[in-house]
Amino acid sequence: MDEALVQVAIPRDLVDFLRVEPQTNSKAQAFTKAFLRNSTQQQSQLKVQSMLSHKAVILGYSRPKKDKSRRNSKKAKGLNARQKRAMKIFQIKPEHQRYELFLPLHELWRQYITDLCSGLKSTSSPQFIQQKLLKADFHGAIITVVRSKCPSYVGITGILVQEFKHVFKIITKEDKLKVIPKRNSVFAVEINGFVSHIYGSKFEQRASERSAKKFKVRGTIDL
Amino acid sequence: MAAQMKDKEAYQRLNYLYQAAHCVLSQNPENVELARFYCFTQKTIARRLVLRQDPSVKRTLCKKCCSLLIPGVTATTRQRRKKNKTRFTVMRCLSCGQSKTLLNNPDYSLWVDRPEAQMEQQKQPEPSRKNQPKVKRRDGSVPSSKPSAAPSSTST
Repeated sequence: MDEALVQVAIPRDLVDFLRVEPQTNSKAQAFTKAFLRNSTQQQSQLKVQSMLSHKAVILGYSRPKKDKSRRNSKKAKGLNARQKRAMKIFQIKPEHQRYELFLPLHELWRQYITDLCSGLKSTSSPQFIQQKLLKADFHGAIITVVRSKCPSYVGITGILVQEFKHVFKIITKEDKLKVIPKRNSVFAVEINGFVSHIYGSKFEQRASERSAKKFKVRGTIDL
Repeated sequence: MAAQMKDKEAYQRLNYLYQAAHCVLSQNPENVELARFYCFTQKTIARRLVLRQDPSVKRTLCKKCCSLLIPGVTATTRQRRKKNKTRFTVMRCLSCGQSKTLLNNPDYSLWVDRPEAQMEQQKQPEPSRKNQPKVKRRDGSVPSSKPSAAPSSTST
């Protein structure tokens, strides 16, 4: 089969019929790469099997344990914390830490925030927007460290990629993943000219817990 | 009224996280970790605020490792059958190996779509108010980058 035939764009009438949209060249390439990698993973297992077939195996009879499987069925299906840590479940690989990859995410976030604040006009009161922003999600926002107890953190700008309990993970324009503690630092979030400050010491919860928590109206400001 | 508005915010947030996971995966199909992190956050928010997720969303998330299941990218989708009778769609997560099996039944309709559910909503005014943002959530989830595979499996 010709390789050129594979890369031909889908004809217009077929697009309407199948209701699929042809993807851009770079996206299609990325998809093919990932798909091929996923589908060729099985070869390594075959190698292991062929290695095992040359090994001496002691044959013996053992009664199948029935009660063990029953106990397993009662167990929760999820992973526990140790397994999660071993799998490195949330750690971004260094080759994926590229700034351009996260620009669409930032675009999506801006749409979300303008939708959340119902248009985000200059007439709307800042208190109303602050109330909304408290419960909003900040993944994908461009944030800047304004003040901090540690002076080397001040001035770092980047897209917020992950939010943990005590830490923000930020990707900077130089393609570096920075880990910034929330405690004792102040962050600024900029949306269409609105700048709102986040006091990190008050923000020390997980991203999911913040949605359910009630904030005090007037907190003490130290720093 | 206030409760409904609060719910709406949370649903917007869930919608955003779901779309963000799709966005990350469409940018780089190998960045499973970040998409998984967003889906994990989405799941925990829904659990904390006791919000029900639509089945079409639930069927695209892995139960075990919370990653987003997209056929060909992070999951394999296969048709299986038992003794020539019933056919199943089996989705297997590529990162943890957890699989979910859905029965292929063209006559099956979700409880929300059935007329009895609508009757029940009319009887009790309170649940119907809770369900309103849910419908919005479903509409919002549709324009996300890729159509979910789960509804198609029920129709085959």
